Amino acid sequence: MLPAVPTSTTEAVTGADAAADPAPPARRRRTPSADRAPGPRRETLLAWGFLAPSIVVFTLFLLYPLGRTVYLSMHGNDIIGRPSRFVGLSHFQEMFSADFGKVLVVTALFTLGVVVPGAIGALAVVLLLESQVRAQRFFRSAFALPFAFSVASASVIFAVFYNPASGVLNGLLYQLGLGQVAWLTSTDMALISICLTTVWMNLGYGVLILAAGVGSIPREVNEAALLDGASGVRRAWYITVPLLGPQLFFLIVISTINALQGFGQIHILTQGGPVGSTTTLVYSIYQLAFAHGTSDFGRASAQALVLLLMVLICTAVQFGVIERKVHYS
Amino acid sequence: MTLRSRTAAVAAGASIALLLSACSTDDNGGGGGGASASDVPGAEVLDDLDQAVEVEFWHSMDSTNGQVLNGLIDEFNAANEGRVRVTGTFQGDYDTTLAQHRAAIQQGDTANLIMVYDLGTQFMIDSGQTVPAQAFVDKDEYDTGALEDALLNYFTVDGDLRSFPFNNSTPLMYINRDAFEEAGLDPDNPPKDLAEIREFAEALTITSDDGQVEQYGFGAAVYGWFVEQFMARAAVPYCDNGNGREGRAAEALFNDPKIVEVVEWWQSMIDDGLAVQIGRSTDDAQAAFTSGRAAMTLESTGSLGGFLEQSEFEVGAGYFPLVSSDDPGGSIIGGASLWINGEGHSQEEVRGSWEFVQHLLTAESQSVWHAGTGYLAVNTEGYDGPEAQERATEFPQFAVAAAQLADSETSVNTAGCMMGVMSDARVAAEEGWEAALTTNDSAEAALTRAKESLQRKIDEYNDSVG
Repeated sequence: MLPAVPTSTTEAVTGADAAADPAPPARRRRTPSADRAPGPRRETLLAWGFLAPSIVVFTLFLLYPLGRTVYLSMHGNDIIGRPSRFVGLSHFQEMFSADFGKVLVVTALFTLGVVVPGAIGALAVVLLLESQVRAQRFFRSAFALPFAFSVASASVIFAVFYNPASGVLNGLLYQLGLGQVAWLTSTDMALISICLTTVWMNLGYGVLILAAGVGSIPREVNEAALLDGASGVRRAWYITVPLLGPQLFFLIVISTINALQGFGQIHILTQGGPVGSTTTLVYSIYQLAFAHGTSDFGRASAQALVLLLMVLICTAVQFGVIERKVHYS
Repeated sequence: MTLRSRTAAVAAGASIALLLSACSTDDNGGGGGGASASDVPGAEVLDDLDQAVEVEFWHSMDSTNGQVLNGLIDEFNAANEGRVRVTGTFQGDYDTTLAQHRAAIQQGDTANLIMVYDLGTQFMIDSGQTVPAQAFVDKDEYDTGALEDALLNYFTVDGDLRSFPFNNSTPLMYINRDAFEEAGLDPDNPPKDLAEIREFAEALTITSDDGQVEQYGFGAAVYGWFVEQFMARAAVPYCDNGNGREGRAAEALFNDPKIVEVVEWWQSMIDDGLAVQIGRSTDDAQAAFTSGRAAMTLESTGSLGGFLEQSEFEVGAGYFPLVSSDDPGGSIIGGASLWINGEGHSQEEVRGSWEFVQHLLTAESQSVWHAGTGYLAVNTEGYDGPEAQERATEFPQFAVAAAQLADSETSVNTAGCMMGVMSDARVAAEEGWEAALTTNDSAEAALTRAKESLQRKIDEYNDSVG
């Protein structure tokens, strides 16, 4: 290939430079002094030395797996799960189908249904807490509590709530003389129920982040508005919310990425059902690679790359569009 | 970058080629179906050892079942000091254990003995890592006469026993005896087929004045295993080529009219308010039954212990229902069996594994196992053991499962389907069934579509094993 020549030339030039200026750096190396910077070669070596640990870690845990995923995505598997035949891009071609389209739609709905109510909910709680409530500390901790729950235990608790025959929620509706809801067993409700669970699980984190943000808003701004006679609602909407911009933005980015990767609650509550109505991209990947005795790592890897792309695009769009409107004080 | 990466690519390519060729030699020379009695080590290999041979046993038994199993392991180790030492490790549920096993095959580091669910049988045969159970039976002239026929029937392929049944169960119908009595029904005569369940459910369903259902007649999980059971009871095959036992199964048949009938019946029960709609979660179905919300349910024999413990009413058990009253009524089993890995293991380890399996299959061990877990006694003499007897006196319901098996004729239809992607098949059947209940599709259309979605997996599997 062409670029090979210039590269080696540059190397040769660098080498010549070093050779033309041999003695001083060598001496400096033996007697390092505080006022003189180390020679260029030594500096480079030192830089690589400092970089080495992170390069090794990144290569082992990010670059190698990524490369391996690309490799696997282009191969079919034997029954043990070993890549056994090259299939080119056919796993990607297969994705242009109604089935995979449905997975993408479910993923998008799930993400929206978690991120938007999650941000609004956390904001509402924080704004309410910010006004002079009694036992503010208690409520703040209480609302932040879901953060301490693991996905698994929260999901198990919600499974008890949603149980079609003996669930707490249907029991309540029954006491109130209302009809029963098929929380997890109808294709219309299942995704909503999963979103509800997830919003509740994420609420604590959102409250923590936004409460910290509220704490950092300068007191004078609010006092000035108060003197001007601004009501609580106006102050919340025109002062607190805009000044919370950076925290809200951070929360939206993080919860989008989390939603795109959400797994535990789906696995425990619905296993992607009924009829695929809660099968998000991550769950689809899991099903292909590990669930019920399959080892279709090829298709799973191909979908994993699509997921990577989606996270990248979402994050890029959020940084490109929303961040412009964020006011960093 | 370019030159180096090209070299790397070539090196990688070469190593992959090497790997692949290594794999294919493995497959050809693997211990698949070829092992005969003469290859199997006799007891003498365990004589005069410097130290006991270590046998690693991967299983999926936790909590109560795990404790009973550990008791049997300790018993064996104590009796075989200096010869064999078995270490049992819980690897997660059946799917996870099989996934670990796949990874272990890739790394050439399999356990000596592994518990694999019924659905994995064809895969275990195809992966060629194990010594067929028949070889041990032949070598030691081991008497399988006492082992449960239905189990031998399932795990025998091409005339050879492939693995040793161990933790097995069969589904039953459970009833709330108190509710039966209140409704004026005879709890000693539970319904036998779908039409009768509906009749009973009409009497059992209690609706309050404001139109809310307080007690449903029926409620069970949409569980793919039941499809297999309904088909066995109607004596229709689950897959082609004689349930995959005469030739490789190339097509699933769960869109059979019998299953269409079951699903349509199920739908009408829900529509008419006689059955509570429960999704695929068997936990939810169990809760519906034990909480008294559903008066009849379908579940494995393994759930009987839990039902007796958690219900405030008297629990009764009956045979799993027939689709229609003129069905011949076979019965299929579920659960797992034990496979002894030969590939990459010493003669001593293989022999040690087999001796441990023999210990698990004795009438004494099976009496303990059955009484402690509710699984079937694989060795039917186990039912006469003191522990099993004590349990049978206390809870006569335990006898129903054994009676259901004893009452059913074994045939190729009750042996179950041998298919490499059987686990996917069960899920596909379940999804078709669920789709019929939750969408506007007819039962036939939904089941047929599920069957078609499975086809690609069957074809790919069959292609890759040649």
